Amino acid sequence: MGEPSDASLIAASIDRPVEFGAIFDRHASALRRYLVRRLGPAESDDVFGEVFRIAFERRSSYDLSRASARPWLYGIATNLVARHRRREARRIRAVARLAGTRVIVDDHAEAVSGELDARERWARLAEEVTSLPAAELDALVLHVWEGLSYEDVAVAVGVPVGTVRSRLNRARRRLRELEDPSGEQPTDHEHGDDPRRIDLRGSDR
Amino acid sequence: MSDDLDPIRRLRPDRIEPDDPEDPAVLSRAKEQLMSTIADAEQVTESLQTPDLYPRLAYRDELAAVEYLTRVFGFEEIREARLEFDGHHLCWLRIGSGMVMVGHQNADVHHIYSPLDAGLTTVMMMVYVHDIDAHHANAVQHGATITMELQDAFYGERRYEATDPEGHGWHFAERFADIVDRDGRPPADPDDREGGPDC
Repeated sequence: MGEPSDASLIAASIDRPVEFGAIFDRHASALRRYLVRRLGPAESDDVFGEVFRIAFERRSSYDLSRASARPWLYGIATNLVARHRRREARRIRAVARLAGTRVIVDDHAEAVSGELDARERWARLAEEVTSLPAAELDALVLHVWEGLSYEDVAVAVGVPVGTVRSRLNRARRRLRELEDPSGEQPTDHEHGDDPRRIDLRGSDR
Repeated sequence: MSDDLDPIRRLRPDRIEPDDPEDPAVLSRAKEQLMSTIADAEQVTESLQTPDLYPRLAYRDELAAVEYLTRVFGFEEIREARLEFDGHHLCWLRIGSGMVMVGHQNADVHHIYSPLDAGLTTVMMMVYVHDIDAHHANAVQHGATITMELQDAFYGERRYEATDPEGHGWHFAERFADIVDRDGRPPADPDDREGGPDC
């Protein structure tokens, strides 16, 4: 016999509420990291406390056919983030500002203009991301940052999987336009050749 | 793999600035709060002694049902046990030593329906009450839908039946012996009693 599933712990917690404590132990770190990413460390403290209180109070509505409670908890946390969109926008802009100062440009002569370009590009990205419709941003962040499958995102935000797919596709299209407004997709090789071009596409995979 | 989502991937805050070491105080404070909420709930659970068998009734409007059952049929809600989620409620109601659970109809998980949606009533709740005459008078006064008039049944009980606003069936009764004990209106003569062995 392995560990009991989240579903069986939650089922048991209907009559023995104390069983719910294990749900916290299993998922608190992941949910805390998620909220810090979206709202910032200090700004997420109050929200973090709410997640498990709300989850506990809603435990009788948990769909017991789902073994892992994590997508459900992500859903509760995401609903709470929705009440703090301004906090979240501040966070995204601050992160982008920080990223803009972290760009290393090898060619010293190009450094100054490269840095300006970088700041500008990160600022534009932040602007684009904060202006995404909330539902698209939620799906994007849950899938890309938190690594939730489309199915788990669907459980979290309470929509069919097809809706998650189309939200992510719309968000993709917007980001592609931001990356290259002309519609032409430069190759990764071209990115690497131009030190002023900030490689938003990343190379650390 | 490179795709259109990379910009977002790169914008994940802890890839730009590694996370502060996780503050254990934040986690333990939240755990403490949760366990205190849980302890409160434990107390309610202990005070909520349910019979080993009790029905869960499904309604379209469960709060209206709770209001009706308490006002018209004399139930008492165990208010501190009420749970709320997704805009719906679960309520526990007591009458005598009996109990019912009242909730929103739930097609996805529990597969239970209001008779309004099922199209018919399939179960009748059998309830013994103290002073069936007063109970009946109160129900009539509050406009209950009486489906069987108050009568003395051949098997030794005074009874009446009613349906609630969404069609769940209710049968209220008091044993003749209990009626005699409280000096109530005496039961009808055996020849005048209602029903037969097939009722």
